[in-house]
Amino acid sequence: MPDNWGFVAAAYGLTALVLGLYWRRLVRREKELDHAGEARARTARDAATTVAERSRQPSRSGHPRSEPASRPPLP
Amino acid sequence: MVRTLGWLSAAALALGLVMAFGVAPREVSQGNVQRIMYVHPPLAWVAYLAFGVVAAASIAYLVRRAPGADRLAHASAEVGVLFTGLAIATGSIWGKPTWGTWWTWDARLTSVAILFVMYLGYLLLRGTVEDRERAARYCAVLGIVAALDMPLVHFSVYWWRTLHQPPSLMKPGGFTGSAAILWPLLVNLAAFTVLYAYLVAKRVRLLRAEAEALA
Repeated sequence: MPDNWGFVAAAYGLTALVLGLYWRRLVRREKELDHAGEARARTARDAATTVAERSRQPSRSGHPRSEPASRPPLP
Repeated sequence: MVRTLGWLSAAALALGLVMAFGVAPREVSQGNVQRIMYVHPPLAWVAYLAFGVVAAASIAYLVRRAPGADRLAHASAEVGVLFTGLAIATGSIWGKPTWGTWWTWDARLTSVAILFVMYLGYLLLRGTVEDRERAARYCAVLGIVAALDMPLVHFSVYWWRTLHQPPSLMKPGGFTGSAAILWPLLVNLAAFTVLYAYLVAKRVRLLRAEAEALA
């Protein structure tokens, strides 16, 4: 019987290709999730910093109120 | 742990290739095309293993409702479908020069095709049911029911007259061929088993990370 090396190469090549592509898909998805997690952590950190900075600032005065005498009478 | 498994599987697969092409002899009746044996049965073995794990993890999920068991079943089903597809494809490639046909509807090939389609349906079901808890429950039931096809696949070569040969290793009396063929086969079986463990561990970790990102 002839050796049929082409069939052997096809079987091994197909297996290597499919398993390699699946592995690469897993690695890529893992990286995407890592980046997304880092971005989420950074946003949360930034938000916490902003609140902390605001709390350290002196409180601003409220809306200026008009003097009672200058207010128009109620209907 | 996962990284170690990855390097271990790469080393084992490299050794398996060396054994398949450097150590194993040229088979007398089939010639070198018989070397497909060092990839096709290991793929089929991992498919059995993967769906066995799906069934066990599905039972564990239905009993305990542990999300970890559901993630293991999901990951194992995905890897199992991949390996079953490859087992069918490499079997078909081997069948053409030895049987003279790419495909025949004999009992072994048909029961494997049914197994493949059932677990493909399992993965589709996961994607279509939006409520995650409900999807996990439905898939656990399907994962157990589909596993009932595995004994049919394995014993089909005994119960019906098929073109496919009976098992070489998993049979009463064990392997009867020469050690020069047995060792490369065993090394490749071990290598593909480690690769399965690596891919499933990686997929489980991803599923956990995805669940945490959605929470």
